[in-house]
Amino acid sequence: MNTLIALIVGAATFYLGYSFYAKRIDEKIIKSDPKKATPAKMYMDGVDFSPASRNILYGYQFKSVAAAGPIVGAITAAGLWGWLPALLWLILGVTFVGWVQDYSAMMMATRRDGDSISAIAYKLVSPRSRTILLIFLFLYLLLISGAFGNLIAGALLNPTIPLGITMLALAGLLGGQMLYRWKMDIAIVTIVTVGLTLLVIALGPVEAVQGAVKAFNAGLDALNANQPIVSLFDPTAAAYAGGFINIKVSYVFWLTFVAVFSYLGATLPVWRYAQPVNYVGFWIMALTLLGGALGAAVAFFVKPELANFVLPAFKVWDAGVKGTLQPLWPMLFVTIACGAISGWHALVSTVGTARQLENETDALPVGAGSMFSEMLLAVLALMAVSVAGKGVGAAAFAAGVGNFLSIFGLDPKYGSALALAAFVIIVITVMQLVIRFMRVALTEALGDAMPIMRNPHVGTITSLACMFLVVLTGTFVYLWQLFGGANQLMASLALMLVTLWLVSERRNALYAALPMLFMYVTTIGANLVTAWNLWVGVVRPGLGKANYEIVVFGGLLMIAIALLLVLLALFIGWDAWQSYSRMKSQQRAGVEAPA
Amino acid sequence: MVGGERGLTPTMSRVKDFIYGLLFYDFTLYALRTRASIESLFLLVTLGDLIGLPIMPPYYSLRILPYVVPNIATWKRRMLREKDLLETDVMGMMSG
Repeated sequence: MNTLIALIVGAATFYLGYSFYAKRIDEKIIKSDPKKATPAKMYMDGVDFSPASRNILYGYQFKSVAAAGPIVGAITAAGLWGWLPALLWLILGVTFVGWVQDYSAMMMATRRDGDSISAIAYKLVSPRSRTILLIFLFLYLLLISGAFGNLIAGALLNPTIPLGITMLALAGLLGGQMLYRWKMDIAIVTIVTVGLTLLVIALGPVEAVQGAVKAFNAGLDALNANQPIVSLFDPTAAAYAGGFINIKVSYVFWLTFVAVFSYLGATLPVWRYAQPVNYVGFWIMALTLLGGALGAAVAFFVKPELANFVLPAFKVWDAGVKGTLQPLWPMLFVTIACGAISGWHALVSTVGTARQLENETDALPVGAGSMFSEMLLAVLALMAVSVAGKGVGAAAFAAGVGNFLSIFGLDPKYGSALALAAFVIIVITVMQLVIRFMRVALTEALGDAMPIMRNPHVGTITSLACMFLVVLTGTFVYLWQLFGGANQLMASLALMLVTLWLVSERRNALYAALPMLFMYVTTIGANLVTAWNLWVGVVRPGLGKANYEIVVFGGLLMIAIALLLVLLALFIGWDAWQSYSRMKSQQRAGVEAPA
Repeated sequence: MVGGERGLTPTMSRVKDFIYGLLFYDFTLYALRTRASIESLFLLVTLGDLIGLPIMPPYYSLRILPYVVPNIATWKRRMLREKDLLETDVMGMMSG
């Protein structure tokens, strides 16, 4: 296998899935009609409801769905089971499940006056299903903040990275000042801020800089006599073979750095920090990934040795060690969420894009087109780890993209440093927004009962404390899979709503119902497996040991979250079944189903 | 409507719109939201009775009325529409 074949497989999936399946569903079942008025036209308010061209919305939707998710999921799954299961799930998942959810949720919202997905759940299923959706969302945010916090703090221990990320924060502040206070041209702002950040990232691998960062980390660790604060066995460490994780002072310092970065994003005005940081980060990410994709495409012709996959195609059916479980089914299907299917997309499709569609016929290229494009991003990440030949996770991804960039004459050492920095940037820019979102969610949920939660600083610090707690359990893979569980349950719920909507309109709902059943059963199974893994791998070994209290508490918290997700999924499944039965009996009696 | 032809070939126009959507559309939305918030505050103070807030119409409300008439319909839609938790200020910037 090589990068060229992988790219051809990805492109063929896009073409065939879009042209022969998605278009057919759009024409035969949904019957999108360019003459029907969309909510953007009917309820135009100049802000949220406002028609935009399909090309703009395609770019906007793609940006909203494709970032860290498809990259992290693909590289984690490839490390656990090999590249073949990951590739198969990406192409089959996007073709039969992913685009179905994104496009159908968008059309459902368009046909239902631009209602958000939570409002549709309230009306179509039951009042409590809206509450359950919001709980899924909060857990999604909590778990993604934990998984990303763990990932970034680990990556920042690499001495080539911290300087570039510090520069990103400063470039964001500078960008906000230049753009909104000094009213400078966006082109100049872009050149200055992106140029400065790239320059400082390039300084990262310089020996003197690396030496200084290493000395700084060593100085931090010396505060605790170079001993770990906690040393715990992680069944997924050491290339997924199991090993000890040593949480040292330097790790806690860089985790605190991530918290400060996110605190600024959550409390400063959006224009001052979050938005310009995102903007600068997007350029770094786009330039790196575009260069990587081009390198991957031409590597086969220029340097074939860089294009060949080194990672095994298939490793094992069950990647668990020491009593833990990682069976291919159901765990692969929550490890890779974005890229194949992700519940987050349903939120973006309904609250954001559906309210801006100029014509109903735009939903297919915008919703389905973006989902298929995101799959290509996941395939690129999969190619990078598959050709790397060394390291796992983010390090393997960086080594692979570094190889691709070396096609253009860039020293692989600098290419890898740039790729790792880009990877951290993708993750940390999402992280700051996640913390801001969590703060808003906490205010909404608890603000009336606890007025102090309305204070943005209190809300942000509470969110960050939750993030710290789940990160310090030390097991990234379980966190990631639990996050995938929350995400895929949101996807199941979105597909459930689409199914009920189609039934209420007496349309054929099979194309949405079958993927919904698969995702529903799979995700419940995956959450139960993760709860077991947390018990066997994290909590039980730590019981009764000194210094392990926080690890045990965090592990128990995550088990509780896993079981809560299962319980809520059962509730929502029962409510949906009741709603379905009600609709069918009304239809049999000749009564029109409620809207 | 945002976007459209600006003297470019159709393909270039599409590419330009795509890049605009990818990079700048959330800036535009954020600016529109900020402007709408300020505008809402102003209209609320001067013409709150239009959405059911019992404000005695002062002299200045009548003076500005001809200028704000075009915005009243969209303002009322924004103010009276039910909103939920998902509509936060960062929703448009978040990525999956």
